[in-house]
Amino acid sequence: MFYHISLEHEILLHPRYFGPQLLDIVKQKLYTEVEGTCTGKYGFVIAVTAIDSIGAGLIQPGQGFVVYPVKYKAIVFRPFKGEVLDAIVTQVNKSIPADMEFCPNVNPPCYKSKQEDNVIQEEDVIRLKIVGTRVDATGIFAIGTLMDDYLGLVTQ
Amino acid sequence: MADKTMPIFVPSEKPLKVVKWKVKQGVFVSQGQILFLYNDSSGNGTDLKKYKAARAGTISSIKVKEGDIAEPGVAVAELEECRHPTVMKEMCAECGADLRTDEVSNRDVAVVPMVHSVPELKVSEELAQKLGREDAERLLKDRKLVLLVDLDQTLVHTTNDNIPPNLKGVLHFFLRSPGCPGRWCHTRLRPRTKEFLESASKNYELHVCTFGARQYAHAVADLLDPEKKYFSHRILSRDECFDARTKAANLKALFPCGDNMVCIIDDREDVWRHATNLIHVRPYSFFQSTGDINAPPPPVDEKPKDKQLASGKNGAQVNQMPTLDAEPEQKDTSKQKETKDDSDNGKIVSKEAKSSGSEEKESQEADQESDERIAQEQAEPKWVETSDGQIEVEDPDDYLIYLDDILKRIHKHFYDYYDKMGKNQIPDLKSIIPEVKSEVLAGTSLVFSGLVPTHQRLETSRAYQVARSLGAEVTQDYSDKTTHLVAVRAGTAKVNASRRMGEGKNKLHVVTPEWLWSCAERWERVDERLYPLQRGGQSSSRRPPAHCSSPPPAPAPVAAMRKRTPSGRFMDTINPLLSFSSDDIADMDREVEDIFNESDESSSDDEKPRDDDLDDEENPPEDRLISASAENSMQDSLQERLQQEEATNDSEMDDEPRPRKRPRKSPPSDDEPPDDDDSSWNLMGAALEKELLAQD
Repeated sequence: MFYHISLEHEILLHPRYFGPQLLDIVKQKLYTEVEGTCTGKYGFVIAVTAIDSIGAGLIQPGQGFVVYPVKYKAIVFRPFKGEVLDAIVTQVNKSIPADMEFCPNVNPPCYKSKQEDNVIQEEDVIRLKIVGTRVDATGIFAIGTLMDDYLGLVTQ
Repeated sequence: MADKTMPIFVPSEKPLKVVKWKVKQGVFVSQGQILFLYNDSSGNGTDLKKYKAARAGTISSIKVKEGDIAEPGVAVAELEECRHPTVMKEMCAECGADLRTDEVSNRDVAVVPMVHSVPELKVSEELAQKLGREDAERLLKDRKLVLLVDLDQTLVHTTNDNIPPNLKGVLHFFLRSPGCPGRWCHTRLRPRTKEFLESASKNYELHVCTFGARQYAHAVADLLDPEKKYFSHRILSRDECFDARTKAANLKALFPCGDNMVCIIDDREDVWRHATNLIHVRPYSFFQSTGDINAPPPPVDEKPKDKQLASGKNGAQVNQMPTLDAEPEQKDTSKQKETKDDSDNGKIVSKEAKSSGSEEKESQEADQESDERIAQEQAEPKWVETSDGQIEVEDPDDYLIYLDDILKRIHKHFYDYYDKMGKNQIPDLKSIIPEVKSEVLAGTSLVFSGLVPTHQRLETSRAYQVARSLGAEVTQDYSDKTTHLVAVRAGTAKVNASRRMGEGKNKLHVVTPEWLWSCAERWERVDERLYPLQRGGQSSSRRPPAHCSSPPPAPAPVAAMRKRTPSGRFMDTINPLLSFSSDDIADMDREVEDIFNESDESSSDDEKPRDDDLDDEENPPEDRLISASAENSMQDSLQERLQQEEATNDSEMDDEPRPRKRPRKSPPSDDEPPDDDDSSWNLMGAALEKELLAQD
């Protein structure tokens, strides 16, 4: 599910950036440090939409580095168990048991239903229901199923 | 299965009324899904309560109808628990249960990683069998077989060395890996690779099976097959291998129903444990200083030769000066020649045994020359610079033409059998492939001359095994049935005899051993006229090239024992070193040299250098050994030996240093004919013995 939420992040800035462009650099750093990362609680940070406030910088004693607490809004994505999602097929392999038939000979390999009117192959959009998720340090991994009503190939 | 079915009871101690079922029989429910709605049986409670599934599974039967009263202690329905037949990253793909947190009993259900490139995806034994059967049926329907293709030195040759950027036909790519700076790889496809893949893919389903890292394997597969029409996702790399030393372990997982329809092409037999469905290809070598950059680590008990080889290969950079390499190798071969000549001249051909020393020297020089000539001829690509700055490379390697032909024959054989047999039977390639091979020289009868040392039994020699695997008869002596005489040199007793006897009839072919080796390489009866035995011309290769191997040669315990511990000689008890063959000692020598050359190598293999150091201390290099004994030795023969050696070394120095290939693959030396230098070593041993006794 996608959310638009407020988040906080601390930016550590080298003294060489202390100048007229300081706040721009803080913003830039926020984008590069935050976008594309994943936290277990909120999921993937897709994009920073707004920077609400940049707090007062705190100089680190003995170092000269400055820490800015930044509050920002971002779009995050986190899959939930039971959620229905649209997804794109990236790889087709044989060990998914389903009531469709695996055809490895055609290029690219695909799944076909018995009547051959329904073909799922790479790059196709499918609708699936998530049956399980696992949150790791670096990412979230989810398993989905097509075995339910209104799931399967999405025809444009 | 039955023990996994569990009944569902009503969630209270009073009877309840099941108002509505939310699920049907045979439906899969996940954990927490609502199964039915109920209220108190007294009927006064109007609020409906939901009953949720405690576990995921399939509803196998519903015992209580809607509107009926369910008594406590009586099952309302039965739930067949999910047995997690497919597991991805330790999560069930059916029910989504996290098997890490689940109880232990569920853990090891799905154990077979059936998809090449996704080792995390595992299926249960049962499902794997089912999928395997489906695969087999599909292959039979399409009249195809499975072909496992090795990359390095089979279809491509890759180097990490710096090479001229303008080489024609060499592809470059950069591999990035986390934690290290990444490296450039330069890959040359074997000539006609594209045509070969195209042709093979008509009869075979191609799988890549390599010891390269995953990234490398996919990169090379991409070069070979940019449209992914040959290999698709069927790429197995080092990252997915169960065992760092062998690829055979993965076969069971990839083909759960057995490897009846699996054919393998590889340049190394050992990684497949000498499987009979392997076609041992001639290793392809283009960059002369590089071996197989992705060779597996050597088995623990292997010969030092192999160890030295692989320790160089496993390093990221194989950057040896060719000259350093060439010298010991050459020394090695020339020395072997000498010792063999000694025995041959002495035992087989009595006339030549009486030849004077000078004559012998001549023959050795001739030997060496022929050695070099053959080394040059062995498919060394010739580098020619053209006017437009591109370096054109003449690559005489044409092996894939023959390989394609072999594969076609195997395919035809298989389906001939399949058509003959009943529909439910599948022939086994493990027996078909040796059979196809044994038709190559069927009906011929060979006699060897000068090929097998006299003290070795014919049956234990490599040449015999190669010939037998090709279906030829081999006899000790010339007879009427003999069709081919394989002779190392002209003028042996057998050659003369056969010339005399076979003069009348034309059917006797007198050929060099190369004829046999090339038959074994191409799996076809090569025209004998291409390999005539020339009078005076010296033929070199008594041993078959490593790739011309037969099915696993039966270990020859007699020969092996002779080599390591010859008799109970006195010297063996004090200095076992003297019982090493010159081959072994030369290997140790080379190993030491290699360590010096590669001292800058990173500490990737910590243990190896330590081992080698030990070797170094315990086993003095041959030179030292010889000079030490020579000081004391009064034996003329020994002096002569030394002189000869110097002479050969000198002549080598005069030669321009020519880049030599690293020895990539050493033949299993156990079944080589043992060296015949026992006599000279005996003399040395006696000399040392004398000295030691004198000290006492």
